[in-house]
Amino acid sequence: MEESIVSFKAKGNELILVMREEDDFDKILESLGRKLDSSGRFFKGASLDVRYRGKKLNGEQERIISKMIEEKASAEVASFKEDEDHQEQESSGDHEEPDRTRDKLRMRLLYFRGLEEGMTKFYRGTVRSGTLVSYEGNVVILGDVNPGGEVVAAGNVVVMGSLRGLVHAGADGNKEAIVAALSLQPTQLRIADVITRPPDSGQPKQGFLPEIAFVKDDMVYIETFLPQHK
Amino acid sequence: MSEVIVITSGKGGVGKTTSTANIGTGLALSGSKTVLIDTDIGLRNLDVVMGLENRIVYDLVDVVEGNCRVKQALIKDKRFDGLYLIPAAQTRDKSAVKPEQMIKLCEELREEFDYILIDCPAGIEQGFKNAIAAADRAIVVTTPEVSAVRDADRIIGLLEANEIRNPKLLINRLRADMVKRGDMMSIDDIIDILAIGLIGVVPDDEKIVVSTNRGEPAICDSKSLAGQAFRNVVRRIKGEEVPFMTFTDDQGLVMKLKKLFGLKAN
Repeated sequence: MEESIVSFKAKGNELILVMREEDDFDKILESLGRKLDSSGRFFKGASLDVRYRGKKLNGEQERIISKMIEEKASAEVASFKEDEDHQEQESSGDHEEPDRTRDKLRMRLLYFRGLEEGMTKFYRGTVRSGTLVSYEGNVVILGDVNPGGEVVAAGNVVVMGSLRGLVHAGADGNKEAIVAALSLQPTQLRIADVITRPPDSGQPKQGFLPEIAFVKDDMVYIETFLPQHK
Repeated sequence: MSEVIVITSGKGGVGKTTSTANIGTGLALSGSKTVLIDTDIGLRNLDVVMGLENRIVYDLVDVVEGNCRVKQALIKDKRFDGLYLIPAAQTRDKSAVKPEQMIKLCEELREEFDYILIDCPAGIEQGFKNAIAAADRAIVVTTPEVSAVRDADRIIGLLEANEIRNPKLLINRLRADMVKRGDMMSIDDIIDILAIGLIGVVPDDEKIVVSTNRGEPAICDSKSLAGQAFRNVVRRIKGEEVPFMTFTDDQGLVMKLKKLFGLKAN
């Protein structure tokens, strides 16, 4: 059971690193590296207070792990030390709350997987400047997205209107996500961690021409979206 | 020695953002490393006027909240070296930033930039307090209208109460023909009321609308009168003595300006 060598928990603003006591340091390091490679982007740019449990670490080992988190997750480790109030929390018998937050975090550490079938938010109306529509699933906008408006979704974004604002699909890292709109002329378009913007000299498009944007080899491609007659 | 200059007005729509974009561009053109900070959170415009809207990834709120490093939020201008923008957040409000955070940010920017221009939002609430917190100098923008001058007077009072001494006045959108007919307040009328030093007079110019919509500051346009006026403002900020445009002659405005800038030497 590789998963259980190292696991993450959230407690308030702290990230708690749970390491299995019986495993040796190298094995823990290797497992942590893999885990950070797959889900480290979640912490990108964040400032983390890291506490650890289970395994006792010496100063040198603390330094190695802290450095690894900084490098692989591009996060800043504000502090790194052993979790002191771990004991009393366990003994207080308050198991329900930490479990729920752990589940929440674990869910968020994985990408949103419901691109084909999943939670979807329908937003009716115009997303105006200064409005942020964000959802941990797919988003369908029945209206326009104006410049200055933002749509951020963990899954796909479909706009039944003109998309002129900022859109971020696959916001928790899923590069399979797509953006489709009846008129696709966003200020900026992001899918997972790929960011694009229209060329500076571009002429604004006239009329409705449905288009779809997707990521291939870390590049955003935009294609005309017309029903495929087979 | 770096300087933090806040551009403020009290009243909305008198040209704070346009002035910030033009003066900032002018300072960068004259070789000073300049950063513009938009503090109008929730109603940001400076990025649009600079034509940099589509490059925004991180903004002022991300910086003060520690979501990114200051360097990541600096947007390099697409035309000029040494010109950078920190945009405001659009989906937040003024309370997302505190004056102490602005002071800390400006202290950090001082190490790298010669000029830090702060575009202040209209009003005298939280946004204004944030904008002036770190300022060494202030430029008060007004138009020759009674309401704008009234608000400018209030702002000058508030600046002095916040220990920003000796603010400078920038009169914007002056129409010489209307002043001559007596339909508009003259420069002297405004200075009589406000009693502060003048740093520039910018004539009303259609080209400003065009350049603002295109996202290209008018100061780059050598034919624009307003552009010329902003170039003079930049020279005055850098400590040069530049004569003011005078609008009292009987000659046409263009002739006067040509004479003023020595274009009619022969």
